[in-house]
Amino acid sequence: MVPSPALTASDDTTAATPSEAPPAPRWPLRLAAALPAVVLVAVCIWEIAVIVRAGDDVGSDADWDRAAAAVRADHEPGDLITFAPRWIDPTGRLHLGDLISLDMAGRMDGARYGRIWELSIRGAHAPETRGLEPAWTGHFGPVTVRRFEHEPARVLSDFVSLLGTASRSGVVARVFEEVGFEPHQCVRLTPVESRGGMRPAKAVYRKVRLGQTLVGYVGISDVFTRRDFRSPGRLRVLIGDKQVLTKRVGVRDGWMRFEIATTPTAAATVTFVADILGDKPGRRQVCFAAEARE
Amino acid sequence: MAWLRRRWRGLCANPARKLVGLTLFVVAFTTVVANQRHQGVVRDEDVYMHAANRYADWWSDFLTLKKHTLTKASITQHFGGKRLTANNREHPPLMKTLFGFSEKLTHNKLGWTSEITGYRLPTALFNALLILFVFLWVERLWGMSAGIMAALLTLLMPRALFHAGLAAFDAPVVAIWCTTVFAYYQALKSRRWCIVLGVCFGLALAIKHNALILPSVFLTHYVLIALHNHRDQLVRGQIWRTAGRALWRNQPWVFPALFVLGPLVAITLWPWLWFDTSLHVRQWIGFHLDHTHYNYEYLGQNWNHPPFPWHVPIVTTLLTVPVATLVAGVIGAAHLGYKAYRRESADEQRGPALLMFLSAGAAMGPFLLGTSPIFGAEKHFAAAMVTIAIYGGVGVVVAARLLVRALGMQRRAVEVAAIVGVSVSVCAAALVETADAQPYALSHYNALAGGAPGGADLGMNRQFWGYSARGVLPFLNEARRRNKQPILPVYFHDADMTIGWYQRAGLLDRRIRNSGREGRGIAQSQYAIVVHELHFNRHDYMIWKSYGTVQPVYVLTTDGVPIVSVYARPPLMKQYFNRATTKPRPRSGGPKAPSPHR
Repeated sequence: MVPSPALTASDDTTAATPSEAPPAPRWPLRLAAALPAVVLVAVCIWEIAVIVRAGDDVGSDADWDRAAAAVRADHEPGDLITFAPRWIDPTGRLHLGDLISLDMAGRMDGARYGRIWELSIRGAHAPETRGLEPAWTGHFGPVTVRRFEHEPARVLSDFVSLLGTASRSGVVARVFEEVGFEPHQCVRLTPVESRGGMRPAKAVYRKVRLGQTLVGYVGISDVFTRRDFRSPGRLRVLIGDKQVLTKRVGVRDGWMRFEIATTPTAAATVTFVADILGDKPGRRQVCFAAEARE
Repeated sequence: MAWLRRRWRGLCANPARKLVGLTLFVVAFTTVVANQRHQGVVRDEDVYMHAANRYADWWSDFLTLKKHTLTKASITQHFGGKRLTANNREHPPLMKTLFGFSEKLTHNKLGWTSEITGYRLPTALFNALLILFVFLWVERLWGMSAGIMAALLTLLMPRALFHAGLAAFDAPVVAIWCTTVFAYYQALKSRRWCIVLGVCFGLALAIKHNALILPSVFLTHYVLIALHNHRDQLVRGQIWRTAGRALWRNQPWVFPALFVLGPLVAITLWPWLWFDTSLHVRQWIGFHLDHTHYNYEYLGQNWNHPPFPWHVPIVTTLLTVPVATLVAGVIGAAHLGYKAYRRESADEQRGPALLMFLSAGAAMGPFLLGTSPIFGAEKHFAAAMVTIAIYGGVGVVVAARLLVRALGMQRRAVEVAAIVGVSVSVCAAALVETADAQPYALSHYNALAGGAPGGADLGMNRQFWGYSARGVLPFLNEARRRNKQPILPVYFHDADMTIGWYQRAGLLDRRIRNSGREGRGIAQSQYAIVVHELHFNRHDYMIWKSYGTVQPVYVLTTDGVPIVSVYARPPLMKQYFNRATTKPRPRSGGPKAPSPHR
């Protein structure tokens, strides 16, 4: 075969021609010279292999069907079902969404669930199962199902459910909203900063049972108000007249946990107050959920 | 005639270059046109296609000397208005005008294409010209093999190929950006090319505001090259005077071309600038300096407010360009850098490799500052990809020739075999990445990320523009048929602006209606879709509340990664599940593209 002259036209990518070529280099230099092409071809082979197999470890419909059937076979009402990583959540809900209530989807955290099912791919784990040992594990193609069992937290007072009994000032509502890009059933306190000054929002719970701890989470709801109004909010918790927590919550903080040691009592007054840090006018949607735990 | 005879003789004398160029042009054009038939309509296209009709109508009236066309009122009615976004006046008009004329000709008049394809043809044409131009430039500087490879690597970029099939400005501005860079390169040795430079720069300004960055490339390059070329004449103690003389001797005519001719061409093509020019220019630039920061997921975080991470353009490039192209680009860049160091460059007087490097730097530069909007991902700095592909073309040839040298078999046949072997490998890798990415290329990440699932693991942006809704249209059509409802109200979420185009293209049943926006739209809907992006999670939650279920009835995936979910109200959703177990019938699916439009 006579190669096209155009394909070998002289240019500055050309190595020296044979007539002016230096003596053949020693083998380390030859190896070094071969390296770019070898690396390049090796990268190509690896790249093709990776892309052709992309998605093989995510699980087919049949894999998810079998994994879901395994969950259903041993599922008990009130079991928490989680998916990992987060982005596979829609696929998981397609197969098991009927077993996930809105309350469960908008949970504060996983502590009150004694049995947790985790359906995962690619070696991921749900945050709710961190530190737990699986009681049962099954593999369905690339989908791994684990069942975790642990002593659930005993909730004495759920401040979201009890909102109807609380006295409120300012804009206060029970909502199911996006906080930190996750769904949360929470109490939304909306303090307003205006030229006339700050108007905090407050919910006062009277005669609530407290245990050893008060565990809660706080965050700012709605991605667009987080973008357009940047001032951080603040949540303060008072038990009786005593302030027991001040939590600053910024627009990038997500769903932040707090825990307060409490003295067990049958009738405490707990107050949640939200205000805005900063003096720019705007409305800050501070959402919290909290539970008094034994 | 004499000119034609000369060209014909030139073609006959060296046909290979022209034939290869023509082949690449045709392949690029047909590939993009064929590929776009499976792509959804992106949100911005809706705006551009509507504007395209108005702009083309006005120019038709103007060219046919219709009365009252040249009035302020008529121009305002077609190109402007009170609002900053009226008639899409925040974007220059050239491409929109071409979209409009293209649709009128190829769809309305000739009936050769669908309506959507008609609008998209000019972008495909610009992209094909880019491929041709890359080939011609690189072939001239570094040889035929490098030219072919550079052109193919430019074509085989997963996301660039996607953008080349849209009635938008991102691919055209890359093409005109590179053409302007080439015109500048030629202008350094020819005054006649200064005029071409001015015209190209004007066209670039009339396509997209990215072009405003171009003079910085030329200024930097001009100074560096002028000082380098006249370094022997720089006198210590008189450095400013001698440097000034060096700058003057190089080719000062490029600057009037850029700063006088370029703007004049842009103004000529943009009737909205024919009156109140200064105000309208300030409003145009001001709009982009003060642009809203849309939400964009990057490394697991949602970003919608500066400061943004400085490394967005670098990481995005590393995770979206085919890895083989990147590696070849590194080899090519190292080789060209070494040649420059040894003063053995292909054209030391004009430093083309340096020019390409500066072009890429300028394209990416604003996004390293942490203040420029990052929501467009790689499309906003796509001109840098051409530099990577050009370096890659050189890198492939250099690697192959070094291999031949290492083998000690410096015969032509061996050299050709080595170049072909390495080229085929690199092209195959780029082709596999590019083919795998379509038609949901904005969800695609390269092998370095681990494909689309790897990108999702890394928390990279899932997609934007709502175009993937097209993948669930067959499901919705089937739902309408199955439920026998005269009108099926659907919450279309991010795709609501595009459903009219789908219906006109016959891709969506006309009895399916958009139920409206946000909570009210969801409340009035029977079905609802969510295009998955991190900040769109809230639409899922609104639907859950309204429908009382978290269970979708269909999930569209690409490489297993969910990109669109479809929900049905509980009375309707029963049909999708086996009653006893509520186990879904097979419903999640990959990119099974609906029948394409022409």
